[in-house]
Formats: sequence, structure tokens, C-alpha cells
Amino acid sequence: MQTQDITQPQHPLKAEARNLSFYYGAVKALKGINMPIHDKKVTALIGPSGCGKSTYLRSFNRMHDLYPGNRYEGEIRFFPDNTNLLSADVDPIEVRMRVGMVFQKPNPFPKSIFENVAYGLRVRGLSNKRLLDEKVEQALRSAALWDEVKDRLQALAPTLSGGQQQRLCIARALATDPELLLFDEPTSALDPIATGAIEELVHELKKRVTILIVTHNMQQAARVSDYTAYMYLGEMIEFGNTDEIFMKPNDRRTEDYITGRMG
Amino acid sequence: MPDSVHVSTQFDEDLARLRTHVLHMGGLVETQIAASIEACISGEVDRVRAIVDTDRKINDLEKAIDDDCAHIIARRQPIASDLRLILGISKIVTDLERSGDEAKKIAKGVRRIHEAGTLPKQYGIGIRHLAEAALSMVHQALDAFARMDGALALNVIRADVEVDVEFKSIIRQLITHMMEDPRTITTSIDIMAIARAIERIGDHAKNISEQVVYVVDGRDIRYDKGAIK
Amino acid sequence: MHTMTPGQIRALIARGKMRDTLFQALGIICLAIGLMVIFLLVGDMLMRGVERLNIEFFTEFASRRAAQSGILSAWVGSLLVMLVTGAAAVPLGVAAGIYLEEYARRSWVTDIIEINITNLAAVPSIVYGLLALGIFVYTFGFGQSILSAGLTLALLILPIVIVSTREAIRSIPAMIREGSMAVGATRWQTCRYHIIPYAMPGILTGVIIGLARAIGETAPIITIGALTFIAFLPPVPFTATGMDGASAGLFDWVMSPFTVMPIQIFNWTSRPDPAFEVNAAAAGFVLMGMVLSMNALAIWLRYRMRKTIKW
Repeated sequence: MQTQDITQPQHPLKAEARNLSFYYGAVKALKGINMPIHDKKVTALIGPSGCGKSTYLRSFNRMHDLYPGNRYEGEIRFFPDNTNLLSADVDPIEVRMRVGMVFQKPNPFPKSIFENVAYGLRVRGLSNKRLLDEKVEQALRSAALWDEVKDRLQALAPTLSGGQQQRLCIARALATDPELLLFDEPTSALDPIATGAIEELVHELKKRVTILIVTHNMQQAARVSDYTAYMYLGEMIEFGNTDEIFMKPNDRRTEDYITGRMG
Repeated sequence: MPDSVHVSTQFDEDLARLRTHVLHMGGLVETQIAASIEACISGEVDRVRAIVDTDRKINDLEKAIDDDCAHIIARRQPIASDLRLILGISKIVTDLERSGDEAKKIAKGVRRIHEAGTLPKQYGIGIRHLAEAALSMVHQALDAFARMDGALALNVIRADVEVDVEFKSIIRQLITHMMEDPRTITTSIDIMAIARAIERIGDHAKNISEQVVYVVDGRDIRYDKGAIK
Repeated sequence: MHTMTPGQIRALIARGKMRDTLFQALGIICLAIGLMVIFLLVGDMLMRGVERLNIEFFTEFASRRAAQSGILSAWVGSLLVMLVTGAAAVPLGVAAGIYLEEYARRSWVTDIIEINITNLAAVPSIVYGLLALGIFVYTFGFGQSILSAGLTLALLILPIVIVSTREAIRSIPAMIREGSMAVGATRWQTCRYHIIPYAMPGILTGVIIGLARAIGETAPIITIGALTFIAFLPPVPFTATGMDGASAGLFDWVMSPFTVMPIQIFNWTSRPDPAFEVNAAAAGFVLMGMVLSMNALAIWLRYRMRKTIKW
């Protein structure tokens, strides 16, 4: 029964943001966020556009490092080794090798389906054909795409439908066995059935990987997540068990947002 | 009810679990009713204790199922047949819980009667008939829910008329009896309370069946005599 | 605002449509004028030079007699100079473009470099010739060779290659770059597997357009001192050269004197004998053909490569 979740002991942490602030140049986009990410659980980030949820998500794989003028403050502790992902001593590439990401719009490379999935492995220096075949199949199966594409692995990825492309991107991220998987509004470009398939996949995936998902769709957060965080204007307003957030939020602002009372 | 599955297997699991819980609760209520009737006829007062205890379990189940319904609404935003199922279940559990309460009332009445004396023989048969009819209604109503069988549910609703007739005949008998011999009034009032409780159980079974019809067909047939024919 | 009657609405639409028609007519007239000028030029050249357009014209060296003159040394020279130009300008330009787009952090230094590149494209070609005369011919001692000419023209088209490389890279969506980096790729891996392959159609187009411009350049080539009369070909690698019978090295040809098509044409037009003008017209037509077929190649390549790249 769902109500049992509340009484279950707290899960071990996969990551924890500690007093995390972020600046785009002089603009402070995140204001001292503290938040735990529970291991092998789905944590959803909700909030109105521009509240900083994507900015927050993209701090976890140091995506902001790609562009000049961005600056982090505070820490993101990554467990079990207790590494600070934001530390200047930690190479962003090392972070991205451990933290996978799926983007808002499906962004397969204009290459074959096989090469898309194999890319992360090639980047890691894997070139053994048999091993690549095996890993690619495994990843495609995990992304519930294998049956649809197994006969045309050499076809160009952009020939797939939007939903299939997004699952291909999930397979690409899964191929390298990330410890944490970031989803940045993964279904905003998809129809309801493709969205349902992705949500179902998220539910399956949490057995083996910790998931952090940004969504502008509150219902989606309610459906897929175990924990939900409500963000507003760069601040973490409320974090809690998804059941609690959607049944009985503690903060007035959360209540207003999820009940659609915000102007 | 569409037989097809949801894209979200988790949603399917949630709904299946909810239905199982309702049926589990229904089973408990059935046993409660049967046990209280058995106590009434056999006069085994020591059973009453267990019946009162089990009623607490039923109350807890009602709360848990209601809570589950609320969570499913909050997290899944059910619509169409799913929405009717959730709404129906939240009403069905109310009727089930009240049936449980009636069973408890019967048990307590039995205890009062047997502490004062014994159940007069001539009522044993009538009560048994009435109880069997009501129990069968509950059973069939739960069956109809389990199988999502609208036709069976309509049968249950029709059967309620027979229970009412049976009940009225017991009441008439009791009134005659009380007029003949005022010493039996105390016992008669307790018997009347038991018969009334059984009759109420039949009403609850009818309400459950109406909800089943609503879940299956989306028709609200409450207070609509024409719909039953 | 008051509501318009259907009649007023129709009148408004009619007025709008009339302006449409007027502008369309104007556009067609302008286009026709431009096309007509080109057709007249090419047609005129063809009419005047057609009598000389035969096999011998391509296989003969220039001669004192107009009727026996050919463009062998000129078209071979043009091709070899283009080879050197391409070999020098493509790696340099592409690498510079990639560096500026993918690696360089924005600062005042990169801003200055950018402004300079844009301005370089606008520098008159004769200035490049002067620069090359000083640097390649004298300082480096390359002499009046194919190498000097090729490098000079490479300088000339470098801005074009850089700019087109950058444009091609910019047209790749940021999400492709992010997708690659997100799985843990380095900048170089991202360039090698994605940026360069996807930018290739655009880069090639830029290179070929640059080469098409370079093949018609005359001023800088004259400045560095290309010969106007050449009756021999550069040495073919590993064959005996005429004088001492020694075998030519793989790259001996780059140091050879040469002439190119525009210079040959220029030379013929400055002769008093009107028979040479026929030669000039024929050679001009061939040069046009070379430029056009290079552009056609660019279009075809871009079309073929773009077919596999969709976002």
C-alpha cells in the first residue's frame, strides 16, 4: 500500500546539495539550496518556468561548465565516495562519466542507432566489437527499445519517432552505467502515449539507478516520483515525500502552485 | 470496464491492489455477519467478543482504502472508468463498514437476549431466513464487484424487495406477540433491533450493487425504480 | 476600432493584392536584367572563341602564332596552384574556425581576432600579392613558383574558409554538443565525432567557393611574378627531367615556374594581333566553365552530405 512509504526508513543518500548557489554572470539563479537525493529513488523537481529547476539539475553534471561566466557556490556531495561534484579539483568529464543526462528535446546524433548507443562506450575507449554489440543490446533493452529497432540498428537515428528517439537517448545514457540519471523535462516534446512509455521506463529504471527529473507537469511528478521538491525563484521551497507534497504540502506556496492557484 | 492495461503498470498494480483490499474487507464483513447470525441462533454468547474485535479491523481497512483512493487521485488523476472505480470504491467501503457495524449490533443484541434468557423458538426460522437472504445479497454484491458484473448487481438490487417483505413479516409477528404477552416486550425489542440490523445489511448490499452498476456502466441508478426493471 | 463591412474588407484585400503583383513584376524584371547580362557575356565569349575550342587548344603550349596556341601550361598551372592553395588553406582555416568556435573563451583578444578575420576578407587581393612577394618570394626564398602562388591564394581565401567553417559549426544545434559532452566526451572527442563531420558540408562549400574565387585571381599572381609565357610543364614526380636526366622528387613541381589561366588570358588580350583575342575568348570560356563546375560540385556535395544529417 502506498501509505507504507511514509513509514519506511529513510533511504541511503546518493547525493546531497549543500548550500548550493549558482550564478549566470552576476545573476544569482540558485539561492542556497539544500536537498538530499535518495539512492535508487526518483526525485522530481517542480516549479514555474524560470524557477531554477533546470539550472539546478544541470549542476549535477557540470553542464554549466560548457559556457563561460557561470559560477557555483556550495557543494553537491556524491555518495558513497563523498566527492564534491562542484569542486575545482574534480574534472567535469569525470562527473559526466558518472552522471548521465536525458534532455528536453530528443537529441540523437545524426548517426546510426547503434552508433548513438555505442558513443559513450567509444568515448571511454571501448572498441571490442563483440563487447560493444552486447552493451548496446543491453542498453536498448533497458530502454524498452530493443524490440522496435533490433532489425535496423544501422538505420539513422533521426528516422525514429519522437518517443523512440527519446528512449534512444535514454539508452545512450544507460549504456555507460551511470550512477545518477538526470532527466530535463524528458516528455515535453512527446505525445501522451510516448510520455506514458517514458514514465513507465523511469519507474523500471529506478531499480538500478538514482533518478532526478525536472518536469513542468505536476501530474507527471506525482505519477513517477518518490520524492518531490518545489522550487520558486531559485529557492527550494519544500522537499518531501511525493505523497505528502501532493496530499498535504506544508508550505502555502507549494499548495498554491500544485493546486493551480498561482497567477 | 475496459480489460486493456494502462501504459503505466504501476497504475494497474495500484488499482488491482485497491480492488483486492476491497474484496478482503468484503470477505471480513461477510464472516462477521455470518458469525453474528450463527451466535444469534445457536446462543453462543462467547463469540460476541471476537466479533466486536474484528470490527476494529474492518474500520482500519476502511480508513486505509480511503487513504489509498485519495493517493491514487492525487498521483494518477484517474479519469473515465478509472475515476468511476475510485469514486465507487470510496462509497462501497462506507457501506461495507456500516454492514460491519450492523453485524456488531446483532452480536450485542444477541448478548442482551441470552443474558436475559433465550431466543424464543418461533423467531429462529424467520431470523435465519432473513439473514440468509441478506447475506446472499452481500455475497452477490461483492461477486458483482469482483467480476464487474452489472447484471448480477441488478439482481441484488431486485432481491432487496424480498428482504424487506421478510422483515415486515417478522415485525408483524413481534407486534402480535408483544400485544399478547407484555412480558416479552424487552426481548421482542432486542429481536426487532436484530431484524432491523439484518434488513439494513440488505440495504447496504443494495447500495454496493448500485455503485457497481455505476462503475461498470457509468449509470447512476440510485432512487430510480425504473432502471432496475 | 469599428467593424468593417465585407465590402470594405474585400477592397482592402484587393489593394494589398495589387501591391503584391506590382512587387512581383519588379522582382522579375530585376532578375531578368541580371541574367541577361551574364548570358550576353558568356554567349559573346562563346561565339567569338568557339572556333578555337578543340582538343589541341587544351594540349598545346602557348605559341607566337595564334592559331597554334593552346592553354596546356595555363590549366595545368591553375590546377596545381589550386592544389597547393587547398592543401594550405583547408587545414589552417578549418582548425582556426574550430578553435574559435569550440575552444576559445570570449575575451578582448578573440574579439580582435574576429574583427581582423572579417576585415581580411575585404582586403584587396593585390595587397596579398605584395605581402607574398615580400614574404614567400624573397624572405622564404620560394621564388616565383607554384608554391608561392598557392600560398598567396591560400592567404586570400583563408578568411572565407574560416568564416564558412564557423558558420557551419554554428548551425549545429547546441543540444548535439551537450548530448556528446553529457556522456563524458572531451572537447576533442566531440569535435572529432560530431562537430567536424556535421560541419563538413558547410566547410566544403566554403572551401570550393573560396577556390572558385582564387582560380580567377590575377593581380596577386602577377605581383609575385608569374611568367606569361611558359612552354613546359612542371616536372612530374619520379620522371626524368629534360636537362640532366636526374629523376624529379615528389615535390619538385611546387618550386617550378608556372602560369595560370587568368594570366594567359590577360597576356593574349594585350597582344596587338586580333587573332589572339579569339584565343582569349576561348580561354575565358574555359575558365568560366571551371568556376561553374566547381560551384556545381559544391552544391552536389552539400546536397549529398546533408541527406544523412538531420536534427
